[in-house]
Amino acid sequence: MTYRTRRLIGGIALGIAVIVLGATPGATQGKYPHATVTLVTHSSPGGGSDVFLRTLARYLGPRMGDNFVVSNVRGGSGASAVAKVAQAPADGSTFYATTPTYIQTTLLSKPEFGYDSLMPVVVVFLDPEVIYTRAQSPHKSLAEAVDFARRNPAKARWGAANPASLERIALERMSRMTGARVPVVSHEGGGDLMINVLNGTLDIGIGEVQEIRGQIDSGQIRLLAVLTDKRLPDFPDLPTAKEQDVNLVVTKFRGLAGPKNLPPAVLAAWEEAIQSVLADPAYKKEYAHESLVPVFMPHDQAAAFTDGFVKEVTTSLRDLGVIK
Amino acid sequence: MTEFALAWKAMTASWAVPAAFFGVFWGIIGGALPGISPSIAMALLLPFTYSLDPITAVVLLASVYVGAEYGGSIPAILIRTPGTNSAAATVLDGFEMHRRGRGGEALGISLVSGLVGGLFGLALLALLTEPLARVALAFTPPAYFGLGILGLSVIASLTGRTLVKGLIAGVLGFMVATIGTDPVSGVSRFTFGSPDLLGGIRPILIMVGLFAVSELMAQVIEPPWAHADQRTARLKLPDWATWKRMFKPHAIGCVIGSIEGVTPGAGGTIAAFLSYNEARRWSKHPEEFGHGSIEGIAAPECANNVVTGTALVPLLGLGIPGSNSAAVLLGGFLIHGLTPGPMLFERSPEVVYGLYAGLFVANIAMLLLGLVILTPCLWLVNCPKPYLMAFILALIVYAMRGFGLPFLPMVLGVVLGFLVESNYRRSLVLSGGDHAIFVQDPIALGMLVCAAAMIAVSVSRELRASRRKTGEAAP
Repeated sequence: MTYRTRRLIGGIALGIAVIVLGATPGATQGKYPHATVTLVTHSSPGGGSDVFLRTLARYLGPRMGDNFVVSNVRGGSGASAVAKVAQAPADGSTFYATTPTYIQTTLLSKPEFGYDSLMPVVVVFLDPEVIYTRAQSPHKSLAEAVDFARRNPAKARWGAANPASLERIALERMSRMTGARVPVVSHEGGGDLMINVLNGTLDIGIGEVQEIRGQIDSGQIRLLAVLTDKRLPDFPDLPTAKEQDVNLVVTKFRGLAGPKNLPPAVLAAWEEAIQSVLADPAYKKEYAHESLVPVFMPHDQAAAFTDGFVKEVTTSLRDLGVIK
Repeated sequence: MTEFALAWKAMTASWAVPAAFFGVFWGIIGGALPGISPSIAMALLLPFTYSLDPITAVVLLASVYVGAEYGGSIPAILIRTPGTNSAAATVLDGFEMHRRGRGGEALGISLVSGLVGGLFGLALLALLTEPLARVALAFTPPAYFGLGILGLSVIASLTGRTLVKGLIAGVLGFMVATIGTDPVSGVSRFTFGSPDLLGGIRPILIMVGLFAVSELMAQVIEPPWAHADQRTARLKLPDWATWKRMFKPHAIGCVIGSIEGVTPGAGGTIAAFLSYNEARRWSKHPEEFGHGSIEGIAAPECANNVVTGTALVPLLGLGIPGSNSAAVLLGGFLIHGLTPGPMLFERSPEVVYGLYAGLFVANIAMLLLGLVILTPCLWLVNCPKPYLMAFILALIVYAMRGFGLPFLPMVLGVVLGFLVESNYRRSLVLSGGDHAIFVQDPIALGMLVCAAAMIAVSVSRELRASRRKTGEAAP
């Protein structure tokens, strides 16, 4: 589902759609202080974070002996969901599914409750970003596409899904870094962008693997590079951007945050549960299919990671002239 | 024949048939409630599809879409408030018919037109997905800009002699459309720091404010004609003479709905307005338009239901959701581990053909439910939610009424403003600021030429008409 679509749908009225997941309340181990835990997401049902939470809850339920309720709080580009969690009691009963969105919304619109009103609990996954082109394109690698752009500054066009997205920031950085100075065209979501890559209006596009899986499978597009540190296990032949002399790594993360001042026992329970869930072979299979990279970060690391991320995005948005 | 066998098996082996009926029912209610768009009605059901089998799940969601596109016309006709964006064109003649005591007839026309459109769109989807998907790819940013301008050119012929007021209203709509996140740079515009405005103001709020609330306020001081026609809100299906008159507007609605549905981002609203305008242009009775014309309901209602089928073309043919509703349906596929796109035909043909069969059942269900559902819908649309923004806008709108500013150009400005602006600027990013890109793209050029021709024709017609009038008045 595209960003703009999510925003549109979330405008009003959807309110809160709550679904109690089929966790087994009987299998209580009595460790966690709450029988029911609410997991809040700004994503609409079926959107990225919603699927992340529902799948995670299915494996967490039996382990933590809890009922997990996923609550879709729409509106304000994520600000409403953050506000709800920030005002919830800090006792481990309510959490928020973090993505870069909540940081970007805070930076862009300075709502009353922002990322700094929450406390990062864990970071669970990185969503790998890939750079792709259409199957008919002459470019066989990212190095070739960048080289083409350097030699033909008037012809090359790159595209990203949304104007203030991590993806656009990444391409603008790549454009500066390589000296190619290519115009980066932003869109109203991944669908729009894909059309313009497929019809040849754009040389390259950028997106998450799971977003473009359909076009990868049907051979409509060719992957040029993955923007991670290491190659992806399910695309062993796809080189990273670094290997192609483009020093660009994009860290799009998925994790959990809660209200400030969570008790240490709650943090420890989650750190332990997430670690054990990530090792579950059945869950491993599911997240590998989505090309998610597990990067377990406990609270301390997650907090430091979030701070670093905020600094990086602030600088980039400032460079783009989006914020002052 | 294997396709039919697969479709039959999918229908009989799953809960798809009851799902189609329930989906249409839910969709009609959602569509009839202003504020619940087709995509929201679908998204509300999405969590419940997790536990269903894939065929039942996608049939359910697609059926909601079919029902919602029809349901939007019910309040458009009965209370002058389009329940969905794409029913806005139906207000023009539907409400006029209702006002003249022919509300039941208007509802019948919209129902059968929706059926004709829905079945036509489905036939196209089932037979021509692959070639039609190529049409979607032909649309580049300059072409979308041209499309938006073509849609806006309708203002010229809608407003006629009050062209200047139409343009003022259109600009007001455009101004509303600039609220939210800047489409190219990502800067927040006119949001005054409110994160709720980051996503812009939704067109349906404008419509509720423009049509419904201002109608209520106007009724306070106007003669209470609206009281007299409550009894007419019973469905009356069209007779043969009416069917004959609807043939042409249906044909127009089918053609325009097909093209608009297939191109991502265009959608039912633009299809409905363009069909309305073309139906008027080709009609033998253009003078009836705006005063309760049968054709004025048949064309837009047919077109927006064609879109329920053809909007799935880019999703199934390319794996790209072309509209908000298609995006929710994409979510429904993904939940079940299915990735829409050309590979779906090879990997899970039973889902594809099951979806086709389910859409067929949904269209039939729409007819049957439409026949019985009107009374509860009437009850529902009579309890609208309070919308603060709608109320604020209504005050502006009441002033607009006072100045005689027409509403539809403003709706068009709001609906098309974002499309026109973002693609205009995107095109210029692509061309490095060179406006020649709009005449180099053949589709864009074609659209812009059509738009110019439409404006020229209606302006010259109005000029002639006013000259004739002054000529008559002089002696």
